[in-house]
Amino acid sequence: MGFVKGTAAFVRFSVEGDLPENVWDFIAERITQFAFRDIDDTYEEESLGWVSVTNMFDTDFNYASYAAGNYVTLSMRLDERKVSSAIVKKFVAKEEERIKKEKEIPKISRSMRVEIKERIESELMRKALPMPSVFDLCWNLENSTLLFFSTNQKAQALLEDLFKDTFGLNIMQQIPYVCGEHLLDEEDRDKLATITPDIFV
Amino acid sequence: MDLVDLIAEKRFLGQEFLTWLWWKSEERGGVVALPGEGDIVIVFEKHMLLEYGEGDTNEKLICRGLQTELQEARTGLTMGKKLEQARIQLTYNDYEWNFTMAAALMEFRNVKLPKTAGTENSNDPEEREGMLLERIHLFEELIRIFLELYRVFIKVRVTDAWRDELLKIREWVALAKRA
Repeated sequence: MGFVKGTAAFVRFSVEGDLPENVWDFIAERITQFAFRDIDDTYEEESLGWVSVTNMFDTDFNYASYAAGNYVTLSMRLDERKVSSAIVKKFVAKEEERIKKEKEIPKISRSMRVEIKERIESELMRKALPMPSVFDLCWNLENSTLLFFSTNQKAQALLEDLFKDTFGLNIMQQIPYVCGEHLLDEEDRDKLATITPDIFV
Repeated sequence: MDLVDLIAEKRFLGQEFLTWLWWKSEERGGVVALPGEGDIVIVFEKHMLLEYGEGDTNEKLICRGLQTELQEARTGLTMGKKLEQARIQLTYNDYEWNFTMAAALMEFRNVKLPKTAGTENSNDPEEREGMLLERIHLFEELIRIFLELYRVFIKVRVTDAWRDELLKIREWVALAKRA
């Protein structure tokens, strides 16, 4: 968060590969194709896609609102239905008690227990409201770098997949070693590969 | 080598850089000369996290405090720990950024951009784009300066000049031991 306002946290990625010549047409088409789809009125467990950086309900991107100068600014939105394990446990126990009473049996069999758990989980999941999370990005088309405004590794993995699906391009996190490779010439790059930790005392 | 292995095996590189930067900033009282850019003011403040070893032997030391001399953190250095996180104030060209650097993955956290006249709450699309571009510029400027500092480090780190630099860093760490 924090791309549009407030304090920010981010990591850098490089974007690997080339875009077609009609860059902005291509980007417009691909973003629309992978725009976020709402699941509030369905039973789907999760949905992932692009929304506007200033409005998580904007998936139309009127007037190419994702474009700012030579940058593409987007938010990756993930809506997920989740049920906490404590709630599942409670309703499974409640259902087991109900069945024991109804069938007048002292114990629930293992297979029946599995069936109950699956059924309850799926019922609760349908009732759960999708929890939204939004992660901003800023893609510099000139030098093919991307800032992703989250240090959450799960979100970073989702971004890698969604970015690849949307634009057909891989992104690579710029950890210090990879970053060093970009900054050094060929000879020094070979040396970088061989250095080992030093002791500072 | 894939990224997961690189992250584990080369974790030390970012930590050595951050520790080097702490030394470098103290060498001239908070001022680091950057080739082609001039002087940059870098102050290490408030919050530090030092790390030693990997896996089961991994030890962490957290130090906090306003205006402290970071004495605990210095002692940590003498025990062979390296800097994994630090709160940094970077001043360049009348701009001041505050951020926490998590060194192993080079993550910028809790980044406060320099104050500007720009407004953050506009509904006008053009103004909104202008505001975004201004913020992008400030993020990129911070990254550019930071990478220039990293370039200075990494160039020395892979050459024989590193031996001399390492001796100076060890002297600086030894000063903390005597303090």
